[in-house]
Amino acid sequence: MKTIIKLENVHKVYQMGKVEVPAIRGINLEIKEHQFMTIVGASGSGKSTLLHLVGCLDTPTQGRIVLDGNDISKLSASELAQIRGQKIGFVFQQFNLLPNLTALDNVILPMIFQEVPRNKREKRARRLLTEVGLEDRLHHHPNELSGGERQRVSIARALSNNPPVLLADEPTGNLDSKTSKKIMKLITDLYKKEGKTMIIVTHDPKISEYTEEDIHLKDGQIISNGRETSKVVW
Amino acid sequence: MIREYFKISIRNLKTRPLRSWLTIIGIVIGVFLIIILISLGSGLEGAINKQLQMMGPKVVNILPGEISNMMTTMTGSLKLSDEDIEAVKKVRGIEKTLPMLWKAEIIRYKEEKQATLISGVPWKEGASFLQDDMGWSLEEGRWPEDRQREVLLGNAVKEDIFSKVKIGEDFYIEGRPFEIVGVLESLGNKQDDSMAYIDLPLFRQITGEREGAQIIMAKISEDAPTKKVVKEIKESLEETRRRKRNSDLPSFSVLTSEKAAEMFNQIMGLIQAFVYGIASIAILVGGIGIMNTMYTSVRERTREVGVIKAVGAKNSTIVTLFLIESGIIGLLGGLGGIVFGLGLAKVVAFILRAQAGFFIEASITPGLIIFGLLFSFGLGCLSGFFPARQASQLDPAEALRYE
Repeated sequence: MKTIIKLENVHKVYQMGKVEVPAIRGINLEIKEHQFMTIVGASGSGKSTLLHLVGCLDTPTQGRIVLDGNDISKLSASELAQIRGQKIGFVFQQFNLLPNLTALDNVILPMIFQEVPRNKREKRARRLLTEVGLEDRLHHHPNELSGGERQRVSIARALSNNPPVLLADEPTGNLDSKTSKKIMKLITDLYKKEGKTMIIVTHDPKISEYTEEDIHLKDGQIISNGRETSKVVW
Repeated sequence: MIREYFKISIRNLKTRPLRSWLTIIGIVIGVFLIIILISLGSGLEGAINKQLQMMGPKVVNILPGEISNMMTTMTGSLKLSDEDIEAVKKVRGIEKTLPMLWKAEIIRYKEEKQATLISGVPWKEGASFLQDDMGWSLEEGRWPEDRQREVLLGNAVKEDIFSKVKIGEDFYIEGRPFEIVGVLESLGNKQDDSMAYIDLPLFRQITGEREGAQIIMAKISEDAPTKKVVKEIKESLEETRRRKRNSDLPSFSVLTSEKAAEMFNQIMGLIQAFVYGIASIAILVGGIGIMNTMYTSVRERTREVGVIKAVGAKNSTIVTLFLIESGIIGLLGGLGGIVFGLGLAKVVAFILRAQAGFFIEASITPGLIIFGLLFSFGLGCLSGFFPARQASQLDPAEALRYE
């Protein structure tokens, strides 16, 4: 299978005043197309930083990240924005929906930035929201939705531009265990259906049970990699 | 796409209505000031120029007192003497002169008694002067005859001072009856419109103003050079005064319509500079208000900026979104300012006309409205520029972590 994401000796150092704080320390990683993987690590292990780097929200201090053939450290801010819009879908722990927009408009928003024609984007947004089970919540604002529903909207939003890569940062971190299970089921169902590359970052080892593969991070380094999963639970 | 951006920006403004409206009010005040000034200013200019045009270019007014000291001239406490009148008359190039006098008297019409200004006009030469060179015309009736107990009424006397005055009825001035023979068209200012005009010799008898004039109007013949004649009038007056009153040299002014326009424009210029200064400060404060609001809003929405960047918005998109927001604040402020400004200008014009008989047309051109709207939208964009740029340069990863 084709490699879609490749990290070569990636370092990320944050400047906190005069102190340099290394968050990622020399990570090498290859992620293939259609791979479904979890990055597990305690808080402060650098897992969110790694996800931001892969998602083109940040650029490495040192090393190379190649996303679908593009070396992202060489791209301008607006080219990075373009890549994020087209190739990456984000799902956040805090949902990060825009409070002023309805569920439908939140899903439409990324398509506006990609200049998808009006009728097309509305049709697609409706379809995606139906797929995540929110066909009767289209015109609700985020504050009128439950946590689980909000996360469904954010998953639909992540899929809006049909990106090859889906990145989820603690997608169940703000949900109770029952809702968490439902969301993970939705994500795995989507994986099976859409066959996208999916990376979930979590501190919860149980989440990794849903995925084919996991890597463990500690202090900005990978401590185990490439588990061929035998305990997939779906 | 710009339509969607407008929708998003409007929704953002709606989520903080109080702050948006307060900021808008700041702009309303500034634009309001500018609009009312421009519309009344050009209206005033139009009204004055119209009056000056009624007075032909070859007519000069000789007034007692220094024109720069308006108060002494206006109160009418200073007068020109008979010698002054003669001095003007004998200047070469003067075709005709018209000394004018006025005084307040109690007038009775039927049961009504009102204090009214009456003015003496030597009808023989005066009627043609007023018609041909000052642009006076009759609304009804005819001009009075020389040395007859006849009165010509200003337009406001008929309507505002006395009610339902009819031609042919009698008007009692100091107990003496005068027949009303005509009513003038409005002359464009309340003072002239409020006068009753009677024969000059009779005026002198009634009022006891045996000599002199408060103003002399003189017509320069068409072929004489105005400037030279004006100079000679001054010289003649100075000489007369030196001869008659020795060292005492009360001042006088010779005013051509050109000079009057110039003086008026000078005064207008000063007033406008002053008021525009104040309006500019108001606008500046409004603009700072927008900037302040936008900086606050960028700070509050840091995380939101991170989110929309994460879903593919470019820096330029973020700038556009925030600029539209501040532009809309400016535009709404401008709209409010225009509506209130023009509304008040209309009211002021109405009051001036009703109370002071001063005909100002608050001039409201589509150009002025478009200018106001563009200006305020531009002001909003300008004030929003730095906050917008700050928002666009937020690091998306950091912005997403912002609590």
